[in-house]
Amino acid sequence: MSQRAGDDPLANPTLVQATKKRPVERPIVAYPGFHVLDQQEHWDEATRQVIMTRINQVPAFRFFKPHEIQTLQALAARVLPQDDRPAEKRIPIAPWIDQRCYLRLLDGWRFDDMPPDDEAWRLGLLGIDEVAIASYGQQFILLRPDEQDHVLRTIAGGQPPGEVWRNLPPRRFWIYIVLRQMTSIYYAHPTAWDEIGFGGPAYPRGYFALNHGYPEPWEVREVRLDETSD
Amino acid sequence: MRLQINLSPDWFLDVEMRAYPQNEPVDFCIVGTGAGGGVLAQRLARKGFSVVCLEAGKWMDSERDMVSDEAGARPLYWNDLRITGGDEPLQLGANNSGKTVGGSTVHYAAFCPRLHPSDFMVRSLDGVADDWPIRYEDLEPYYEAMEREYPVAGPAYFPWGKPHSYPYAPLQSGTAGHALIRGCVELGIPVVPGGPIGITAGTFGKRPHCIFRGFCLQGCKVGSKHSTLVSHIPDAIDHGAEIRAECMAYEIPLDSDGRVTGVRYFRTMDEGKYEEAEQKARHVVVAGYAIETPRLLLNSRSGSFPDGLANSSGLVGKRLMAQAGQVVWGRFPTMIRQYKAPPACAETEEFYETDPRNDFVRGYALQSVSPLPIAMAHLLTEESEPFGWNLRHLMEEYNHYAAIGVLGELLPDERNYVSVAPETDQYDIPVAYAHFNLFENDLKLIRAGVQRAKDVLEAAGAVETHYVNRYAHLVGTCRMGDDPRTSVVDQFCRSWDVPNLWICDGSVMVTQGSANPAITISAIAARTADYIATMARSGDL
Repeated sequence: MSQRAGDDPLANPTLVQATKKRPVERPIVAYPGFHVLDQQEHWDEATRQVIMTRINQVPAFRFFKPHEIQTLQALAARVLPQDDRPAEKRIPIAPWIDQRCYLRLLDGWRFDDMPPDDEAWRLGLLGIDEVAIASYGQQFILLRPDEQDHVLRTIAGGQPPGEVWRNLPPRRFWIYIVLRQMTSIYYAHPTAWDEIGFGGPAYPRGYFALNHGYPEPWEVREVRLDETSD
Repeated sequence: MRLQINLSPDWFLDVEMRAYPQNEPVDFCIVGTGAGGGVLAQRLARKGFSVVCLEAGKWMDSERDMVSDEAGARPLYWNDLRITGGDEPLQLGANNSGKTVGGSTVHYAAFCPRLHPSDFMVRSLDGVADDWPIRYEDLEPYYEAMEREYPVAGPAYFPWGKPHSYPYAPLQSGTAGHALIRGCVELGIPVVPGGPIGITAGTFGKRPHCIFRGFCLQGCKVGSKHSTLVSHIPDAIDHGAEIRAECMAYEIPLDSDGRVTGVRYFRTMDEGKYEEAEQKARHVVVAGYAIETPRLLLNSRSGSFPDGLANSSGLVGKRLMAQAGQVVWGRFPTMIRQYKAPPACAETEEFYETDPRNDFVRGYALQSVSPLPIAMAHLLTEESEPFGWNLRHLMEEYNHYAAIGVLGELLPDERNYVSVAPETDQYDIPVAYAHFNLFENDLKLIRAGVQRAKDVLEAAGAVETHYVNRYAHLVGTCRMGDDPRTSVVDQFCRSWDVPNLWICDGSVMVTQGSANPAITISAIAARTADYIATMARSGDL
C-alpha cells in the first residue's frame, strides 16, 4: 500500500474546506457504532476507575449560587452545544467548573493581571449579565441563542461594557477561563472521544495500526456527513 | 523504610530504603529528583556519599497512579500557585513543571538531542548572550554515558552538531510523525526518524518495549519511556540514597561561617497535614528546576544574603529562558490519528545553526508533536477562539491533524526573570513570579521557524496550516560562569558565594540551544558528581 497521501484508500476526496461560513448545527463527521467504553475490558484498572468516576460521579453544585448556575449552564450550552444529543447523553460541564472553584483547584499558574480562578468565574458570570443587559436589556439566560452568541463575541472582542470588565481582562477570561476549562472538561469525556474518533486508553494492549492513519480492528472508519449537509 | 512500588508491569520495586536521621548531617541533601537531582543522587550514592533527596511530589506507582488518560495525568504536574507575567506570559503548569519523584522527566516527551558545539560559544561565534565556561568536549563523555543509561534510541548516524551515533535502534513513528518526515523529504530537508528519544524499541532490563499507546506526556505506565524514576533513582536507592517524597523545601539555613547547614522543609504526614522538619547536611544541592530553584534561594534570606542565598551577583532568578515551542498543525484530507505512537518520534536540526542568510542568529529544530484531544482543543481555542458548533466541527477534524513543534533558541535577557511574589502557597511560602518577554531576535527566529514548519506540513499534503505560541523547557535562572560577579555557580555547579552549596539543574545553563534540555542537565549532573568525587579524594571538598 502506498504511503502517498493522494493514493491513500482511506482518504476522503470530498472533504470540504474549513468552517468559515455559518456552521451547520449538527455533526459533520461520524464514527458509526464507535463506543470507546466498549473497550473497557482492555483497560487497566486505574484508568478505568478514573474514567468511570468521571462519568458516574458528577459532583453536586457547592460553589455557585442558583442564578450563577443558570448563567454558567447557558454559557456552556453556547460554547459547546449538545442539542444533537438527548439530555441524558450530554456531557456535564457546569458541575465540574463548580467543583474546580469549590476546591480552588489550579493548573499551576495564574496571570499577574487575573484574580484567582474562582473569583474570575464569579466576576465573569456577573460581567456576562452586564453585557447582556447593556446590549439587550435582559439577563443572559433570557436571551435568544444568537443574542447570547453576540454577548460572547462582545466579550471576546476585548471591549465589553460593564463595571466587572474594568478589573477582569475580558480576553483572558474568555480564552483561558471559559474556553480552556470547558474544552478540558468536554474532551475528557468518552462521549466526546466517540464523536471525534479518539481511541482512548490503550494500556496494556497498545496500538498496532501506526501507519497511514489506519484504524485498529476495534476502531471504526470515519464517515463524512458534511458534503450533503447543505 | 520499606519501599514498594511498581515501576513497570515487569518491575515491582520492593526494597529496604535507607532512612537517615534528620539531626546527623548527611554528606549531601539534594532538593529535587528530576534530570539533575536524580542523576546526581545516583552518582554520589555510587561514590559512597550519604545522600538524602527531598522531593516535593509523591511516588507515582505505574500500575496504581499512572493512567492512560489526559485529564487523569494532573497529579504529575506542579499545580500549586505561580504567578506569570510579562509581554509573553509563560503557561507554567502541565508540561512546564513536574511534581513527582522523577520530576518533569516522568511526563516529558523524552526527546534527547545533545547541544551542538556552537551552543557553548555563542558570544564568540554570534556576538550574543555569553559563552559557557565549558565546551562541548567537556560534556561529550557524559552525553555518551547518559545515552546508554537513559537509554536513548536514534539513528546510527546523527548528522547535526558533532555527528555521532545512538546505541539503541530508532523507534517506529506513527502517521503524525510521518507527516514531518514526508514533508522534509519532499523539500529536500534532512530528517531523522525514530529518535533521539529516551524510549527503546526493545526491552531494557525490567522495562518492556514501547507499546505505542501515545500517552508519553501522561507518564509511561509501561516503564518504557525514560524518566529518572526508572533510570537512575532505583540504582541510587540500591546504593544507599534515601528519596524522601512529599517534602517541600522552603529554606536553606546558613551558619555564622557562611556555610549552609541543611534544608528546612514541610513534610506531608497525612492528606493535607504536614509538619516542619530540617535535614542536616554537609552539602546542599538545589535541583528544583528554573522556577523552584531561584524561589527557594530567594526565600532563603539572611544577614549575609539579604537578597537571597548565593545571590551576591544579583543573578539568582535572572535570565530565565524558555525555548520557543510554537505548535504548528496542518489539516490533512487523509486520516492521521495522531494519538497513536509516541509524540516524540522524528526531528530535523537542519536549521539549528546561525545562517548568514537569515535576519536573526541561532536557529531552531522541528520536531514531531501529537496533541491528545484536550491539548488539541486548547490549541484551536487559543488560535481562533471558536465556540459553538464551530468549535465542535474543528475538533471533529481531530483525526485529520498532524502537528510539528518548532523548538527555537531564545536568547537570555535579564529582563526575563523569576522573583518572589506577595502571594503564598498552601504552606504559606511566597510563590514564584515568572516574568517573560520576547525580543527582536526571538521574534524573527519564531517567524522563520513557524513558516518553515508550515512549508513542511504543506509539502506533506496539509490543506491548511495554523499555529499557536508555546514555550517550553525553562532554564537559566542561576547561570554558571567563570566570574563570580556575572554568574551564580562555577563550571562544576558550585555556588561562588557558599562553598558547600551546589545548584544542579537546568537553571545553571548559560544558553539553551534548540535541544530539549533533559539529557544536557543529566550530563552536567554526572560531570559535577565526578568533580565532587575528585575533590573529596584530594580533601578539597
